[in-house]
Amino acid sequence: MNGNGEDPQERPEQIRGIINGLERYNPQAAEVLEAYLQQQCEEKFCDSNANRALLKLYQLNPDKIKDEVITNILVKAMTQFPSPQFDLSLHLLSPSHSNPGPNSSSDLSEAVAKLRALNSQLEGAQYARFWATLDSDDIYADLTTDIAGFEEMIRVRIAQLVSQAYREVQTSVLEGWLGLDGEEEVHKFVIETCGWKVAEGGIVQVPRNAENEAKKTEIREDVTVDMFSRVIKRSWEDNA
Amino acid sequence: MSYQTGLAPARALDDDSDVEEEALVADYKEQVQYSEGGLEELDQATLAQQADDLQSRLVQAAQPLDFQATLETKFQSYDNYCGLFHYILNSEGPVDLEPPSYYWAWDVIDEFIYQFNTFCSYRARIARQANNEEEAQVLRDNPNTWGCYSVLNVLYSLIQKSQITEQLTAMRRNEDPAAVAGPYGSKNLYRMLGYFSIIGLLRIHCLLGDFSLALKTLDDIELNKKAMFARVMAAHFTTYYYVGFSYMMMRRYADAIRMFSHILVYVSRTKNFQKNTQYDSITKKNDQMLALIAICVAFHPTRLDDTIHTALREKYGDQLLKLQRGGPDSLPVFEELFRIACPKFISPVPPDFDRPEVNVDPIEHHLSVFMEEVKTNMWSPTVKSYLRLYTTMDLKKLAGFLDVQPEELRSWLLVNKQRTKQLRWTDAGLLEGELSNTSDLDYALQGDLIHISEAKMGRKLVDWYLRNLSRTYA
Repeated sequence: MNGNGEDPQERPEQIRGIINGLERYNPQAAEVLEAYLQQQCEEKFCDSNANRALLKLYQLNPDKIKDEVITNILVKAMTQFPSPQFDLSLHLLSPSHSNPGPNSSSDLSEAVAKLRALNSQLEGAQYARFWATLDSDDIYADLTTDIAGFEEMIRVRIAQLVSQAYREVQTSVLEGWLGLDGEEEVHKFVIETCGWKVAEGGIVQVPRNAENEAKKTEIREDVTVDMFSRVIKRSWEDNA
Repeated sequence: MSYQTGLAPARALDDDSDVEEEALVADYKEQVQYSEGGLEELDQATLAQQADDLQSRLVQAAQPLDFQATLETKFQSYDNYCGLFHYILNSEGPVDLEPPSYYWAWDVIDEFIYQFNTFCSYRARIARQANNEEEAQVLRDNPNTWGCYSVLNVLYSLIQKSQITEQLTAMRRNEDPAAVAGPYGSKNLYRMLGYFSIIGLLRIHCLLGDFSLALKTLDDIELNKKAMFARVMAAHFTTYYYVGFSYMMMRRYADAIRMFSHILVYVSRTKNFQKNTQYDSITKKNDQMLALIAICVAFHPTRLDDTIHTALREKYGDQLLKLQRGGPDSLPVFEELFRIACPKFISPVPPDFDRPEVNVDPIEHHLSVFMEEVKTNMWSPTVKSYLRLYTTMDLKKLAGFLDVQPEELRSWLLVNKQRTKQLRWTDAGLLEGELSNTSDLDYALQGDLIHISEAKMGRKLVDWYLRNLSRTYA
């Protein structure tokens, strides 16, 4: 589904077999999918479709649940922002896991609540707040520790989204959004990783692309004879 | 970059579909009249065959359970279904039975899932309320009755036995489905049970909150008026409701609107000859879908079909206005409409009877996830209404107008810009689609300077001409 980690090329044949067949309901398949998730975490790709199959198995077999697998899936889905991936995973969790009540909080439900808050900052494009939250509590480091390159993936994604809306950005704004420290780091990142330029006065210039142009367009109606075929046919038949 | 607006592409695809729809409406009318007479025939037939236990079990399986049915009756009903499906699936070779009527297979699958759905909801409610120890004990002792695995098992087995997937694939290639039907699938009973089991799965996955799997289930069914389900009104209706709802939950609002519009227009054309009892349940679903359209239109403003637009304004006029205005005031309205219109979500495993407080109603869970996205988007209408007034604008000045911090406004602008790109169905599987720009308003930022461009709409005349021409001719 267009590069939001739904059906990646990296998916092996065995996994394809599981998620497209009845094997996806076999509780034993959970182990294979868990190992595959581990691989995704290490190799920095994301297969949300396969991960949802794993959540589905947990949904049907709660005795199989492993807390850290659930949180890893959520963190993986989070790296795909903005997209429905995180929400689609949440929908598969048991209501009691994702809505900690006053008398019923568990480690898992607390972790899920933290991740939801984090995700909503990314979805809401409150990037500076996201980095601040991430730094505010050690629990976030624990939750994201299994995901190799988590911060870098988020940072690159933010830069990509910025490039779709901005032609020029102030360094100070970018500094907050990218969660970097100081002008130098920002400039290093945008030049080396993004291939952008830095002009005088600390203005970062983003190359033109289809999204940041905002060109004027006019929608016109293409009129073809075909559109009138029924009317013509009818008038012909009425006269005949 | 070319912008597309609302219904234009859908119209183009639907070209010529009026002819089909005409035929379908006529066909449905015939069906209704047929069943008037058919029912008596059936009564006589069942009378004559009272001895034939099996035939009456088939009819029985399609009968709705009484609303007030006791727990015992519900257990009994589950056992009956198990017995019947076991007989159909595990006899030696295909059983030699004809379905009692054309829509029998739909009725059976529909009722089976409905009972599963209500049973799960009921069980969860008993656990939450914790004031009926007697029933709680019975439910605790029978965790496998109406179990999710066994319900899924029945549906998947019917699909496999009937080789319906293979048959549908053959039909799409314009090949003869009979060639791949096998000994079971060539029989009406299996073919139709298999077919409607696919729709049943769509529904179950949706009830469990697995919206993408729900849409994936329909990969082999082409959603058009020639589809088999279209001949059974209730099936037609149900399919579009669940597909539309799943699209909405996947943030594919344009596709959701397309689904709801299609079926609502169809219903409005057939309502004059629907029988009362059936019409009541359809009216309820009809209103639910209007509520869902209101939600989708708030996310994705578009021009609606005239009939639907009028109905929407009549039914939810005030709410729609609030949704479209956005902001915190719109949140309770989103909630209200979602609650009215969502399916009765269930949790697939038995609740925790010993700790009533941990059993959260699944509807609350799905609603809270959905509301997260609503909140993320709630400032988009405000932002858009301001941007429309200018071609360039200073961000800090606009932030001043809106009385927010510049940093906040930057976020709103990014969110709105990101959400205008939406996956849209073209012509492959329901999950596929192309990313397209869904708004006529575009902008880019140069530092704090916002450059705004609005796509100019040329006047659209073809539709107007066509509608008036057909009025003149009629």
